Amino acid sequence: MSPVAQARAAIARINAADHLLDAFITVTPARAMAEARMLEARLAEGEAPGPLAGIPYALKDIYDTAGIRTTCHSKLRENHVPAEDCHVAERLRAAGAVLVGKTGTHEFAIGGPSFDLPFPPPRNPWNRDHVPGGSSSGSAAAVAAGMVRFAMGSDTGGSIRHPAAYCGVVGLKPTYGRVSRRGVFPLSWTMDHCGPLARSVRDAALALRAVAGHDPLDPGSAAVPVPDYLADIEVGVAGLRIGVPRAWFAALPGADPQALAAIKRTAALLREAGARVEDVALPDFALFAACGRVILAAEAFAVHARDLRERPRDYGRVAFQRLALGATITAPELVQAMRLRRELTDAVSDALARHDALLTANVLIPAPRFDALPDAMAAAAPMQMIQFNVTGHPALALPVGLHESGLPLGVQLAGRAFDEATLLRIGRAVERLTGWDRMPLPDMTRPAGQALA
Amino acid sequence: MDTEFDMLMARAGITVPDERRDGLLAAYRDLRAAVALLERAEAEPAHVFRLDPLGGA
Repeated sequence: MSPVAQARAAIARINAADHLLDAFITVTPARAMAEARMLEARLAEGEAPGPLAGIPYALKDIYDTAGIRTTCHSKLRENHVPAEDCHVAERLRAAGAVLVGKTGTHEFAIGGPSFDLPFPPPRNPWNRDHVPGGSSSGSAAAVAAGMVRFAMGSDTGGSIRHPAAYCGVVGLKPTYGRVSRRGVFPLSWTMDHCGPLARSVRDAALALRAVAGHDPLDPGSAAVPVPDYLADIEVGVAGLRIGVPRAWFAALPGADPQALAAIKRTAALLREAGARVEDVALPDFALFAACGRVILAAEAFAVHARDLRERPRDYGRVAFQRLALGATITAPELVQAMRLRRELTDAVSDALARHDALLTANVLIPAPRFDALPDAMAAAAPMQMIQFNVTGHPALALPVGLHESGLPLGVQLAGRAFDEATLLRIGRAVERLTGWDRMPLPDMTRPAGQALA
Repeated sequence: MDTEFDMLMARAGITVPDERRDGLLAAYRDLRAAVALLERAEAEPAHVFRLDPLGGA
């Protein structure tokens, strides 16, 4: 399809379905059509306007966009219009991608889903009575609904991979330092990662290729060469060694048996395809969770301390409660967390020295209903994603099948630092082996509660 | 623990709205349990700091 046709189709899909999903906070049809026409003119003149020429995409509404409001889904920044684009938006424009809008999120990428914010929470395209996960909620919903080929999210404790799992899309948290965070509103400087959510592993690879690379203006950005992620993506898994840290998730309270079975089935498929799949021992998951929680709480409080003091009621209830908690972390506790972080990172790197990747759980339940969520501050759902924010290793969320309720189930792969290529290669194999690459879009035209394909 | 929590919020200059206090206090108790797990970090080498005498021998 031509850039104009692609942009027109994306906008039509958004117009037809977003009133059901609230995936977008801001849609930018005029700007998208202007960009698409410009790309089409360049193509007509024989130019090559980039590897993503004409592909419509969306940005989570914490990514700065020049002249387009960037709200962080919060009253505190409801009318904030940045003067400059974030680095990722610059890179995607240079690659020829066409921005069609900004997607809903948990407030400041931490507080949600919430109904006490200026914008409604996005809904799950597989069943609109159910949450889409978060915090990159709208990005996942927009991709799952076929509005865009890919959308950018951010991930500090699982915020790309969690909604990817609930919405049945691919979510990639790259290695820490792989993608610049410049111009993206921070939650936790040493835990934040930017990455794509996409309908397919191939699209996630294409998007990563466009946004990865060194940015000297992000102090956390790494000067590591970016490979062609598509080069070996169809090679398969024969001969690869894949470790399964089964003790992390096998007896996790609250885990749905079908979610556990999905991991087991994925391991069997990989084994049948020629991979060597074996159990691997790693430190207790509770250590990763405690470490990540303390660092995230302290750093997020540092970001928000002033506004929490001066404008507490402008935060939604969930964001306020989660962010204010950081005021209770002491300096020695943060130091201990950072020391433990090094130990845990070394342990994961050691395991990955013996294995090409890890296969593990992501979130071990299908998406819950909005009206069945536990209290926001009560015990968390059975999910295990923060460990790779603590260590910085790349992690890929993959849909692998449907729960008996009709909602998606997924698994998570993690890999060596800066080796996203192997993750994408395994991910593409899983997509093919499970048949998820032939899964039709969910039918959102049905009333909520009956929206399953 | 309630008093400790109130003291920490006051020290940080944060006024917790009444309707949000119970939820925050519950989360604080849960966080304290997580913090207790951190005490095991002992042998990690990156933070072993040795200051050589300034100006050398």
